[in-house]
Amino acid sequence: MTVVIGFEGSANKIGIGIIRDGEVLSNPRRTYITPPGQGFLPSDTARHHRAFILTVLKEALEQAGLKPADIDCVAYTKGPGMGAPLVTVALVARTVAQLWGKPLLGVNHCIGHIEMGRLITKANNPTVLYVSGGNTQVIAYSERRYRIFGETIDIAVGNCLDRFARVIKISNDPSPGYNIEQMAKKGSQYVELPYTVKGMDVSFSGILSYIEETLFSMLVEITERAMAHCGSQEVLIVGGVGCNLRLQEMMGVMCKERGAKLFATDERFCIDNGAMIAQAGWEMFRSGQVTELEDSWITQRYRTDEVEVTWRD
Amino acid sequence: MAAAGEANGGTGKLEFSLDVPFPSSRDATIALRSLSPDKEPRKGGISKLITVSGSTLSVRWSADESRILRVSVSSFLDHLSLVMETMEMFGPPVAV
Repeated sequence: MTVVIGFEGSANKIGIGIIRDGEVLSNPRRTYITPPGQGFLPSDTARHHRAFILTVLKEALEQAGLKPADIDCVAYTKGPGMGAPLVTVALVARTVAQLWGKPLLGVNHCIGHIEMGRLITKANNPTVLYVSGGNTQVIAYSERRYRIFGETIDIAVGNCLDRFARVIKISNDPSPGYNIEQMAKKGSQYVELPYTVKGMDVSFSGILSYIEETLFSMLVEITERAMAHCGSQEVLIVGGVGCNLRLQEMMGVMCKERGAKLFATDERFCIDNGAMIAQAGWEMFRSGQVTELEDSWITQRYRTDEVEVTWRD
Repeated sequence: MAAAGEANGGTGKLEFSLDVPFPSSRDATIALRSLSPDKEPRKGGISKLITVSGSTLSVRWSADESRILRVSVSSFLDHLSLVMETMEMFGPPVAV
């Protein structure tokens, strides 16, 4: 039996989750929500996380009904993400790891999303579309690496949607993307916009302020291209933008045409959360990885393919 | 906490030192190992050295400009207070 606690705070969510052998025992989370028209800045976000992190940690333990002695490993987000919030979270993770005498594990945030998606959906070896405010990548596993087949060459699709929401002053509660989706459901006019796919990659900065159809079509195209390249029959969507039902619907149509299966998780797990870091940490820990304190520095840049995936064949 | 700032006439660099007493050497070391891994966000113009002696955590800064020094010290104090709060809430450390 292996119990891992995971700390996540690379963007505006602070989440701490506990996993025991594939079971999510607790996964509390707080979101820093800014007024309409404003995005979240690193120092304010770090201040928010600082204010809540110890409370959320207590909640995670209480809701799981566990004591620190029951934990086997402390996992935290090493990167990528915003510097100041990452540091705030890493400080607490390092401190409790030492207080409790437990090994530490620095986890790649993107891999956290992937491993949580695999756990929840039980997809076998899917092509992964990872879409969030900070990241847009098409990923496939091959020989001990999560290979990046395609990605945004400028901004993440979620960033594009968030900025659009800011321009038209949509509420950021619960998230700008959610509110765009609700408004889009009532829309009936399709406006043709620049569609920018370059081979395996996409570009969003040229079409900032736009409607979902075009953005999501671009993502479906590059996902399909990666699937064709890998001969894959499964698609897994992870990341906050993955909550979007229209994206899932459009991806579903493409999958049906190819006879492939589509997997996605609900908002508990596609939005940043602590348990996903715990899950990736669980996999890494069980395959013998540990992070020494001196190497536990956080990093704003951390590519998904930099990590050796020792837990898969 | 004892602190002193001075301009070093020789190098022209600004220096700041901070000494933080902890209840035990173990506590000071835990704080040290939590606070030292992350690099300064700014690439140049500032450096700091964190050490432990007995049960005291010592930090020594050297910076080119006072503004950069202030930001780094202020940041460090925020981080230090978070580590101390965590130790208070979830300590004492387990027996080794």
